[in-house]
Amino acid sequence: MMSFGSFVYIACLLLNGANMLLQIFCVIMFSDLEMDYINPIDLCNKLNDLVMPEIISHTLVTLLLLLGKKWLLFLANLPLLVFHANQVIHKTHILDATEIFRQLGRHKRDNFIKVTFYLIMFFTLLYCMVMSLIQEE
Amino acid sequence: MSQEDAFYGKGSYGASSGNSNIPPQGFQPVYPVAGQLDNTAPYVGAVAEGTAEGIVSNGEYAVGAMGAAPTNIIGSVDQQPPVSHTSHKSRRQYPAEVFELTNTLAASPAPPSLSEPSYVMARTPSSSPYPHDRAEVGTKSLSAQFGGMSLGADGAAAMPTNELVSVDLYNQTPEISDLTSPPPPINLPLSYSATGAATSNCPPKYVRSTINCVPTTNSLLKKSKIPFALVIRPYTSLVEEDDPVPVVTDTIISRCRRCRMYINPFSIFIDNGHRYRCNSCGIVNEVPQSYDWDSFRNVQRDRWQRPELNYAVVDFIAPQEYMVRAPQPLVYVFLIDISFVSISSGMVGTASRAILESLDRIPNKEGRAKVAFIGVDSALHFFSVSPGAEEATQLVVSDLEEPFLPRNQDLLLNLRECRQGIENLLERFQSMFATTRDSSNALGPGLKAAHRLIENIGGKICCLISSLPNVGVGKLELREDPKLLGTNRESSLLHPNDSFYKSFAVECSTSQVSVDMFLFSSQYQDVATLSCLPRYTSGKTQFYHRWNASRSEDALKFASELTNYLSMEIELEAVMRVRGSNGLRMSSFYGNFFNRSSDLCAFPSFPRDQSYVVEVVIEDTITKPFVSFQTAMLHTTCNGERRIRVLTISLPTTNSMTDLYASADQVAIAQYLTVRASEKALSSTLNEARDSIISKLVEILEVYKKNLAGQNTGAAIPLQISTNLRLLPLLCLALTKHTGFRRSSHISSDLRSIALCYLSTLPTPLLMRYIYPTLYSLHDMPIEAGTVTEQGVVLPSALNLTSALLQSFGLYLVDTHIHQFLYIGKDAVPQLLIDAFGVNSLADLKAGRFTMPVIDNPLNVRINAILGKLRSLDKGSTIMPSLYLVRGDGDPQLRSWFFSHFVEDRSENSPSYLQFLQTLKEKVRD
Repeated sequence: MMSFGSFVYIACLLLNGANMLLQIFCVIMFSDLEMDYINPIDLCNKLNDLVMPEIISHTLVTLLLLLGKKWLLFLANLPLLVFHANQVIHKTHILDATEIFRQLGRHKRDNFIKVTFYLIMFFTLLYCMVMSLIQEE
Repeated sequence: MSQEDAFYGKGSYGASSGNSNIPPQGFQPVYPVAGQLDNTAPYVGAVAEGTAEGIVSNGEYAVGAMGAAPTNIIGSVDQQPPVSHTSHKSRRQYPAEVFELTNTLAASPAPPSLSEPSYVMARTPSSSPYPHDRAEVGTKSLSAQFGGMSLGADGAAAMPTNELVSVDLYNQTPEISDLTSPPPPINLPLSYSATGAATSNCPPKYVRSTINCVPTTNSLLKKSKIPFALVIRPYTSLVEEDDPVPVVTDTIISRCRRCRMYINPFSIFIDNGHRYRCNSCGIVNEVPQSYDWDSFRNVQRDRWQRPELNYAVVDFIAPQEYMVRAPQPLVYVFLIDISFVSISSGMVGTASRAILESLDRIPNKEGRAKVAFIGVDSALHFFSVSPGAEEATQLVVSDLEEPFLPRNQDLLLNLRECRQGIENLLERFQSMFATTRDSSNALGPGLKAAHRLIENIGGKICCLISSLPNVGVGKLELREDPKLLGTNRESSLLHPNDSFYKSFAVECSTSQVSVDMFLFSSQYQDVATLSCLPRYTSGKTQFYHRWNASRSEDALKFASELTNYLSMEIELEAVMRVRGSNGLRMSSFYGNFFNRSSDLCAFPSFPRDQSYVVEVVIEDTITKPFVSFQTAMLHTTCNGERRIRVLTISLPTTNSMTDLYASADQVAIAQYLTVRASEKALSSTLNEARDSIISKLVEILEVYKKNLAGQNTGAAIPLQISTNLRLLPLLCLALTKHTGFRRSSHISSDLRSIALCYLSTLPTPLLMRYIYPTLYSLHDMPIEAGTVTEQGVVLPSALNLTSALLQSFGLYLVDTHIHQFLYIGKDAVPQLLIDAFGVNSLADLKAGRFTMPVIDNPLNVRINAILGKLRSLDKGSTIMPSLYLVRGDGDPQLRSWFFSHFVEDRSENSPSYLQFLQTLKEKVRD
């Protein structure tokens, strides 16, 4: 039977992978907006539905890591958790169609950082998972 | 002695004393010969010597004035021959082409317009080139044009330039007449245009660029620190006939197939005129087949007479392809607050009367205009009139969660068919609710219902609100906290408090509905949140502070503004796009609209009393001698015609910093800084807004000092700037002292928000007046001031805004476009009071809101004429300034408000102009 530690890794890997794909989708959408393939209203309607799932799943990942006592990984995820919490408190997590073009630069930067973070996280978790499964064997 | 003589005799009231001595009690005006009084110079001199700063001396004024207008070295625009006969000129310029064209057309039945080839040939030497093929033909033609001027390989080098004249800011009084003078000329030889018409380039009243000479590289622009933006005002009058624009009626619209630029005076015809080269991207396009054919009269027409090749500002009548649906009718939905506060302040009564009186002025040539009325308190009151019926039926909907329309028809009333019913309804409107005790205001549900009523047609929702929305969706709370004012946390009061207004604005924009807010306050009204809706739906916000209909001035102001607003010929379903030549990109847009895509601004309805600012970035190196910017606005007129207004401005390019600075437009730069700072104030903090203004100014001064200022010797380092930018420091100072940005704990957030609304939308001339109010001295104005000549009423010359110029016995007028103040000094002589107001002593004058009395006295008549002229100075403004009387010995609050407009003085916690220059100098030195 799989240990709790391995379960945490597997669950986190899946959630993290989903978040990564989601962020890549956002990057594509933003560049579509820049090229005028999509209008800001549609963009905001689409992306705003995905904001909360991302925040929740990332919070879940962080919590799982905490429960699994994976301290280093937990600390690595903490800044993003704080960032999300800050956004939710100030209600800036929802994209605003009226301001989107003025904030596009910032959104794209945030997006890029997130994608990079999730990518690094993905491979780290993959490595940890494999190691933990091997150890169990 | 006749009354007139007596008046002339007093040419300047009490002026003979020259200082602020109190005139003796029984002061008798001296009556010298009228001729002597023409010379007011000694008086002015006396005033100047009396100033505290001691820098205002007549001599220096004159020196400043000498360098006032930047001079053209050669070939300026106005040296070109006049343009009334463009065809003539064009033929002169295109001999070979025209000749060939004639030959090719010889087979066709009638080429009447081109029947003079021999004359044409005779007039011009055969070497005379086709003006636009210059690049291909070579530089010969250009050198011929400029008469021996050396011409490098770079075409830009041949452009005539503006001369850079440095001035030392310390050594002169700000030359405020520069505020109204035209910007540095665009030195683009007219021979670049297809017809050579003087109207080929866009006049500054429509489009102004912050730099009238475009740098060829982005690095030069970055290095120069001058912002690059266009200030665009597509309409300059409320009704088209006040300022008509040539119309292209034959629906032949030729556009570049790559960059979609419309054909314009700077398009380059080649290949016998069969094709043309786009002046923006350089691609060759076919000229439309029937371009030279007049399809109305079925005759050949002279191409060079076409308006779009002669005028930079034209209206095209759009063909079918430009229509998504049949032109919509004009629709107004009046959403009227009928709560207790609203009724008791008299707003409902005044509004319904004003609407009733304006019914005939709503543009309705086709008889399609529609109106609807919705009353809002704790329920929604709809009014239904069946066509031809005399009486309206009231239908009350009290479900605010899901507001529904009580009827499917007869709620939207055709103005012509239901006229009688509408009139009866408006006459009885106030009395219907006179006994109400309801203090609720369900604005949100009301807006939703109004939107549902017109979402399939589009139109305008006009909200008349005098209490804070407190029921249903979009309800707002009293969040004003006097403790926050003047602190850093004040900005939170300027940000919208409820997301409903933003999301609803997006909904409105997609269904072509625009919302206007007329807000009346007795207390906090949350202008910051409510103004969101007009901001993104291209509407306007009007705010009436402490309004009450029992004051006739208040009632009159609102009624006339509502009438102006309703009679404005608005455009519907408009979209605006600004295109630039290759290498230029429009990066940000400022104004009231919704950005539907990265460079498309959407206006559900296009108001005629606003202007827009577009920021430009240079992405690639520009190799051409000139670049063009084209603003195209597709819209439906209120008469149901689909039109495109096209404004093309062409600017020469340069690679020298000197040219850049010599052709910078300080007024446009100030407007750009204003809208950018307003944007900052609304999205971040007031501190940042102020800093953005000052830091830009310091950057500009630094660059000027490093690169362009003359080598100075001596210990004193002057603060230098070019003549055409010399008002920029003053305008920046005035901005930081403006109600919108001033650091103060006495400005309520409502007043700040509305000031920011005005700052971000007012057209240039009005904005300048709003930032730097105009001060007139009325007691000693020249004889011709206030009289009517061919140019209309003559205005006295404006004075600098420093209270040192105010005499304690004088009468002054300060005009900010939104407010006007009449200031009467505490030592005013009785004769002045009698002549101006018809009262004997100051005590008889009531300070505060004021109506200028009309009495039979020349001075009074002239003052009234000046006030009238100032009210109608700009044809494109709906605002009627409110007049206040300020007494030199009166209410301290009113006086401190009045003196807060004197931006060159020291105040609360902001420096005087000279102190400001000193701090600038210190910052620049570092």
